[in-house]
Amino acid sequence: MDKVNVAHDSKVARKRKIFKKSTIYLVLIAFTVVNAYPIFWMIMNSFKSGQEFAFDPFGIPKEWIFSNYVEAWFTANIGTYFFNSLLVGIVALVICIFVGALASYFLSRFQFKGRNLLYGFFVVGLLVPIHATLVPMFILMQKIGFLNTHLALIFPYIAFNLSITIFLLTSFMQSFPKEIEESAIMDGCGVFRIFWSIILPMSRPAIATAVILNFINNWNEFSFALVLINDDALSTLPLGLANFAGQYATNYTGQMAGLTIVLIPTILFYLVMEKQIVNGMTQGAVKG
Amino acid sequence: MHLLKNPWIIAAGVIPALAIYLIFSIVPIFISFYYSFMSWNGFSEMQFVGLANFQEAFQDKVFWVSVRNNILVVLASVFGQIPIALVLALLLNRKIKGAKFFRTIGFMPVVISTVVISITWRMIYNSEYGLLNNFLEGIGLGFLQQNWLGNPSWAMVAVCLTIIWQFVGLYFIIFLSALQTVPGEILEAADLDGASEWQKTRHIILPSISHIILISIILCISGSLKTFDLIYVMTSGGPANSTEVMATYMYNKTFEGLRYGYGSAISVLIFVFSLAIILITTKLLQRKEG
Repeated sequence: MDKVNVAHDSKVARKRKIFKKSTIYLVLIAFTVVNAYPIFWMIMNSFKSGQEFAFDPFGIPKEWIFSNYVEAWFTANIGTYFFNSLLVGIVALVICIFVGALASYFLSRFQFKGRNLLYGFFVVGLLVPIHATLVPMFILMQKIGFLNTHLALIFPYIAFNLSITIFLLTSFMQSFPKEIEESAIMDGCGVFRIFWSIILPMSRPAIATAVILNFINNWNEFSFALVLINDDALSTLPLGLANFAGQYATNYTGQMAGLTIVLIPTILFYLVMEKQIVNGMTQGAVKG
Repeated sequence: MHLLKNPWIIAAGVIPALAIYLIFSIVPIFISFYYSFMSWNGFSEMQFVGLANFQEAFQDKVFWVSVRNNILVVLASVFGQIPIALVLALLLNRKIKGAKFFRTIGFMPVVISTVVISITWRMIYNSEYGLLNNFLEGIGLGFLQQNWLGNPSWAMVAVCLTIIWQFVGLYFIIFLSALQTVPGEILEAADLDGASEWQKTRHIILPSISHIILISIILCISGSLKTFDLIYVMTSGGPANSTEVMATYMYNKTFEGLRYGYGSAISVLIFVFSLAIILITTKLLQRKEG
């Protein structure tokens, strides 16, 4: 009698376990579908004719059409936007990392008056709500004549990434033992020489994180571009794309082609560098 | 740490960063304070108007709608993103086939540009061809169809759903990596004592990641206060101002009406509002924790 019961119990337990496991899978799969299907839907429809899209918006195209892409590429100057985004993003990133690392070096390796205050001043920038500066930034850029140039984007992008960059690099450089520079100082190396040939190379992991954060922020930035750039030839990808979608409001498959052109490199970049990107973005977020 | 006596060397190292940071991040805040007392269209003579801009804002119904919507976005983010992300992370925090796949897809929306997301979701919500309405019809719920972004009573809901969708993945991954730091020995001990999964979650797992949850809530609030791009591209504040947030209100007033003084005043209010909310929640959460 008891034996039967035990067998029965373990059967129930196993059933329960299977039920639990499948519920978990079901929820995770639902989440994945909700996350991925909108993107998939958009990519698939970018290969359909307007007519097919109207009839069957869900599935894979019956006939793969590329005319949407040709249209999107030539009417929206996606090539130009790409170039602008790369140029602005990379120049801002290089300057931000360089001046940020240099400042972090002094903030982390040397004792001087006002050091903590200065560090706090840099880090408090994390709290400045970016769009509260849109209007004054526009006025400022107009005054100094940067409006409608690449510089109008490069400087704000540097400024608004400096806080997180200095934060990440300072805390990383602080962890090096003090002895590191000592032998170099004995050898008569200058302060900047030590920075360039010892501290900077040693900070590579933190710099990689900062580079990724900077790049993604710059690449996706929209508000400053919207306010400070009023010339299609200088538009970055997000701005150009938003304008293009506005003009082609009723040509859905054309819009989707434009979006896909922009999306594919992002997703490839993400899949290749997933570990670094995820680490960078979550670390940057949690620490900041 | 080394003592550096020569102030010029320090200056040379710190000033490049400091100068850019000051001019392009801190000075604009002061500029907006200055211009908020002015009436100026960018061309004609500037006029000092005292507090008139602020007065006007406080009397404008649309401004208060935008404040309310800002708060709605914050609430939707905190009560949407955080619980969903937490549940998903708890579910995935075990031996599961395809765990890596779930993580990869889960985080994907976070890296996609907000503009791409906004335009995609604008099409998903499209009343005629949109994915959502087609889907509702397909599963026999056609009566639920809406002109999601065109109907003032639904537009804000639609926008908030998209915002939740965009950032669940970020907190999902943050929680997942926090869960991996929960010491395995304690969980094993609890297993031996016959603790149920719920008991383990409630008494061991959640308390040991509570710090990360708090940080995520603050992050979520400060992130959702920055909402501008998404709403600007999806609805630009419409229809009938129903999705206006403070930033879109500021943008529309400043650049469509060429009212730089008024826009500056709204900038000041955004600044004050954001800092106040962040400080209050940080204080509240810290007290709760301590």
